[in-house]
Amino acid sequence: MSEPARLLSERYGAQGEPSIALRIVDGRRLEKKYRDVLRPGGILADAHGQAHQLPRYFYEIPSWEVAHNTQLSENFALWEFIHTDVHEAEPLRMFPRYVPCAITLMALGLEQFRSAARSFVHIAANGGYRSPAHALTVHATPHAWGTAVNVYRIGDTMLDNQEALEHYASLAYKSMPGVYVRPFGRKRGETDDHLHLDFGYVIAVPRGAPFETYNPKLDVEPL
Amino acid sequence: MEELEERSRAQALAVAVMDLETGFEFRYRPDRWFHAASTIKLAVLLGLFAAIHRGTLVPQSRLHVRNRFRSAYDGSSFRVLSERDADSEVQAAVGKTMRVIDLARNMIVRSSNLATNLLLDLLGLEHLQRTLEEHQLSGIDLRRGVEDELAFEHGINNRVTADGLVQLLRLFAEERAFSPELSREMVEILHDQEFRSGIPAGLPAHARVAHKTGEISTIAHDAGIVYLPKRKPYVVAILTEWDAEMSGRHPTIAAASYMIYEHLLGARDEDDE
Repeated sequence: MSEPARLLSERYGAQGEPSIALRIVDGRRLEKKYRDVLRPGGILADAHGQAHQLPRYFYEIPSWEVAHNTQLSENFALWEFIHTDVHEAEPLRMFPRYVPCAITLMALGLEQFRSAARSFVHIAANGGYRSPAHALTVHATPHAWGTAVNVYRIGDTMLDNQEALEHYASLAYKSMPGVYVRPFGRKRGETDDHLHLDFGYVIAVPRGAPFETYNPKLDVEPL
Repeated sequence: MEELEERSRAQALAVAVMDLETGFEFRYRPDRWFHAASTIKLAVLLGLFAAIHRGTLVPQSRLHVRNRFRSAYDGSSFRVLSERDADSEVQAAVGKTMRVIDLARNMIVRSSNLATNLLLDLLGLEHLQRTLEEHQLSGIDLRRGVEDELAFEHGINNRVTADGLVQLLRLFAEERAFSPELSREMVEILHDQEFRSGIPAGLPAHARVAHKTGEISTIAHDAGIVYLPKRKPYVVAILTEWDAEMSGRHPTIAAASYMIYEHLLGARDEDDE
């Protein structure tokens, strides 16, 4: 085994195995209480009326400890993306919890952003994955795809003013190809107290996801 | 009270007292409306416990601390400036979450404006107003969060009367607010009040006071439940209005507090020492 492969293996597991030791679940096979709030594979319209298909495959997080110990990238652990509050749907405030598999892409992008910022990047509560049933999810938002974050602080800098927000927005554009950054402002679609970064409505289906032969009956009755 | 009002040079003084031991009531301008200042936080506390009572929240429910609110005037956004907030703990938690019970404690004990607006946003103005109506608390007019300067400029203000605050605090003192347990929990929070230059300053050291103060440039209030040994408590609200430059606010409230204490039980309480 080459040296890089050995290091990767030590940190993330042997090659050929999933790098994240979490079970991947088909959301349409979950209990009804989870299906109702995750709406796997369902449609959510954005503020402009555009329809977007919601993620179907999720990582299952059995406990807070596991979330804490699961590194998605060098500097970002899973717990940072699931820190929600009382506005989240009740079944998702308790473990097991579920996050769309595309969350890994966001962690990867953030890692690059962190390198460019050369400091700690803090994701706000409710600023990582929010389910379609979260009280703040009025329209489709990439937060419900696990591909958006709200950053409220970088190092010791609070992102609550135009200068700081525009500085780090510029860094994000340079370091995260394809990212969308909400502009500074107080109108709808703008922010003045956090940096919103997203990759859009990305759906990830990792290897190892519990595939099945397409069955149209499942569109009507998932179980 | 008239004499104290004149001597203090306050623009207005209002007092309401209800003694749960004897049934004695005293009311001086009990129905005059005042800007509520931070005494409105009592109504938010009541609303939070109403939600806990109904099971829509638990004390440990966590809430995102975010400093961004909508003005009651036009919906434009505003923030609670840290230099205008007596509490720094909630400000330091921006971006993170806090338990609603801890927010309530900060709202009362150190009069956190940020905690107040967070709870008000969570609970909703309508829920809070309905809770006041359900308890027939007509002397408390809750219309917005705190530090909403635009609403203030346009005359949209929270208002209270001395009688309204006494009626609200009576619910706590008589353990009629939802349940005896929840009433006691609210009283315990009020007991930890850190601003003690009003009602407590006019009382002997052994008096325990569960209270809430309120102060802005032209207003100084204090309303609370006074617990003394070997008797049921009395409930008191002392509301004052001032010229912005005038001093002597806290001594006036303390003097009124002392007068009430002396009238109710001063001699007997001293005999008990």
